[in-house]
Amino acid sequence: MLGNSVNPFVRKISKESWVLPVSGMCLVLGFMISLAWVTGRNRTSRENYLSPDQRQSVNEATMDVDQFQRLSAEVTTLQSQKTRLENALSKTGGQSKVLNDSLQELKAFAGLTPVEGPGVMITLHDSHPASEGMGGNFGVSPDFIIHDVDVLKVVNELVASGAEAVSVNNHRVAGNTSFRCVGTTILVNDIKIASPVVVRGIGDPNTLLGAMNMPGGVLAEIRQTDPRMVQIETVKDQELPEFVGSTTRHFLKPAKDVK
Amino acid sequence: MILIPIVALILGAMIAIAINVPAVPGIYGQYLAIACLAGFDTICGGIRAGMEDKFRRAVFVSGFISNVVIASFLAWLGFKIYINLFLAVALVLGARIFTNLSLIRRYGLTKWEDARERRRLQAQAQSQSVANAQPEPNP
Repeated sequence: MLGNSVNPFVRKISKESWVLPVSGMCLVLGFMISLAWVTGRNRTSRENYLSPDQRQSVNEATMDVDQFQRLSAEVTTLQSQKTRLENALSKTGGQSKVLNDSLQELKAFAGLTPVEGPGVMITLHDSHPASEGMGGNFGVSPDFIIHDVDVLKVVNELVASGAEAVSVNNHRVAGNTSFRCVGTTILVNDIKIASPVVVRGIGDPNTLLGAMNMPGGVLAEIRQTDPRMVQIETVKDQELPEFVGSTTRHFLKPAKDVK
Repeated sequence: MILIPIVALILGAMIAIAINVPAVPGIYGQYLAIACLAGFDTICGGIRAGMEDKFRRAVFVSGFISNVVIASFLAWLGFKIYINLFLAVALVLGARIFTNLSLIRRYGLTKWEDARERRRLQAQAQSQSVANAQPEPNP
């Protein structure tokens, strides 16, 4: 069938069974594959030898979504427990009550408690010009995609125009929040989000709305590409979650001369 | 029959996990990965030869070892002389794996179709013989 008469190294007919030798070598191959597998322990040392797109998937793989959800649930429980204990402690005396009030105020400011209030909700979508009949537009221009920089600018603009608390896709923006681009997704507090991005801000709704719709502002810039990429509306009452990232500090301590 | 090698493959991986060998780091991991590709190619070739009744143990085992060594050597050489021979090896081995797998699939299909055809003919022959054996309704 395959013209094996041409190949002098192959006997016409061989009655040796192939199952056992192949199985034996499969055993060895399985062992080898386990050793060559890219795991958490050898990832960093092998990353340099991977091609860029492989590196990107490795970066995305470093985050365990299940673990994040478990841990953030734990943080929420612990934070609310702490608040309850602080409140209970303050009931023993007037002095500790004053102390606790100031503490709760500080925690709300730092983003460690869930907060609610009026404000605005901004939704940022990726645009899909090719699918909407622009015809022949196969390559999607980077302008049609919401980037980390866009989110960063919107949040910055919101805070600048007086928002007292901001969340991005239900991740609270606190003092050490970062926005970063990883491949096709955006990282907020090291958590992956993707379009549509919902930015909520608590503050005076009309002031925020006016400030965000400012001509030449960040939203106007995105609207230039495609007006449908941005939606902004005022909200009477909305709840923002608390910051669930790590609050551990290794290097930072209060300065000595503060009495 | 094809299941035994697959079980052996999984068993090999399980042994490596069970005795907790650390995964190979750095560039050696890359060499090992390319060696795995070579090993997989040889195993596909072995199965194909077996289906063609041309399997020879010595050729297969020596082929497995030499392919693994040559693939890693080429990758190492490419790393040393700054030419991406990884890609060359991966390309050639990938093409061979595809060829071997498609041939294995064809042999399997042919075998299965032959068996089905044989059964059909047998059933036909049997029903005919039964019909012939029936006595005439009216003497």
